[in-house]
Amino acid sequence: MTTEADGRISQFRKGVVELAILGMLHRDEAYGGEIVEALSAHPGLAISAGTVYPLLSRLKKSGVIGSVWRESPVGPPRKYYRLTPAGETEFGEMIRAWDGVTGAMKSLLGRGVSR
Amino acid sequence: MIEPLRMSSRALTPESAHLIETYLDRVQGAMLLTAGDEAADAVEDLRAHVLSELAETDGSPAAVSRVLGALGTPESLAAEYADDDAGRESRGSDHHSPGHGTFLGMPFDVRMPTTERIASRLWNPLDPSVFVPRVFGIGWDINFGAVAVKLGIVRPDDEDEPFATVPEGWLLVALAVPIAVCAVLVAMLVTRYAGMPAFAPSQWDVAGRPSAYWRKEALAAFLLAMSVVPTMLAARVFARRRPALNRVAAAAAATLLSTAALTQFVQTVRTLDGVHGAWLTWVGVGLTLLLPFALLTVLSRIGRAAEQRRDLADRPR
Repeated sequence: MTTEADGRISQFRKGVVELAILGMLHRDEAYGGEIVEALSAHPGLAISAGTVYPLLSRLKKSGVIGSVWRESPVGPPRKYYRLTPAGETEFGEMIRAWDGVTGAMKSLLGRGVSR
Repeated sequence: MIEPLRMSSRALTPESAHLIETYLDRVQGAMLLTAGDEAADAVEDLRAHVLSELAETDGSPAAVSRVLGALGTPESLAAEYADDDAGRESRGSDHHSPGHGTFLGMPFDVRMPTTERIASRLWNPLDPSVFVPRVFGIGWDINFGAVAVKLGIVRPDDEDEPFATVPEGWLLVALAVPIAVCAVLVAMLVTRYAGMPAFAPSQWDVAGRPSAYWRKEALAAFLLAMSVVPTMLAARVFARRRPALNRVAAAAAATLLSTAALTQFVQTVRTLDGVHGAWLTWVGVGLTLLLPFALLTVLSRIGRAAEQRRDLADRPR
């Protein structure tokens, strides 16, 4: 696979992972290791800590998510992430955009694109 | 001269053709500023698209307006082409930007180092890469943040902003470290310089035997410069009240270079005292890496503790 193709897949995956993280945090707050573990359980996403933590940092800087330290029942305190009100709005818009894209792609690929 | 536009086999009216050509001229004009050489090709594609859309209509000016309206304004369309072009550029930018990139698989960077770039290379726990492109020169530097994460000393997201919550007093301790190392080097030079021979060992082979000698004046000047200059630059970063990450990274870089200078002089002195062995070199390299690493990790832990105190202070334990 060419570097350019790798780059395209990487860009595409980052967008999907961002939506996946917002989806997780829409349901409930979670700490970094928990997010990495949940996403790593889906091999198709090819996710590692090296992908998730920079994304969490960027989302926090943009105000989409917030973080807070909480005591852990089994060890040292953990930093939990949650959606901010702006993040909830962003997530709603992303879900609508995602539905539009997936609907269109299903329709297009269903017409017999050779694979 | 504009050739008459045709849609399928029927000629467009002059008014419809004029609408289309005016639109495409505006697109091409806007694209020349943003997409350069690709403007002509893109306009030809657009022309084909517009004529194709018009094939199912009567080709009237009203139909042309509808088709062109669906494309948006010429300027916004040109901007979309530019965004697409910028996206392609950014994916390969490392290989085309002047001053940095890769050569025969080795990263290089000959741009003037900035404290931001030094900081992002020396301490970036979010990046799992231990070896990162060198701040200046060819090769790689060590990302101490990745090492600390791999050793389990810190977690990638321990601090929201690296060192941002470290108390000011501790930041000043960070600057005191390279100053102290410089002071030790100066003290050793003052006490040992007069008794040194005219030529002193400056390099050693793998067995720890001297392999090169420098004039003692040159060696002393080189080691002092290697130690004092980065420490003074770090002090300047502190004096200018730069962000905490920049200050800590400048102090860590100064610590690394001044420790390298000090350990080299210690090896010179030990060699002159008749002590040989590769272990001296390895101890020197180890200390040179260990001291800045310890400085960065300790301050990161202090920053994490400050964040935890902030968040957990009012919560029942």
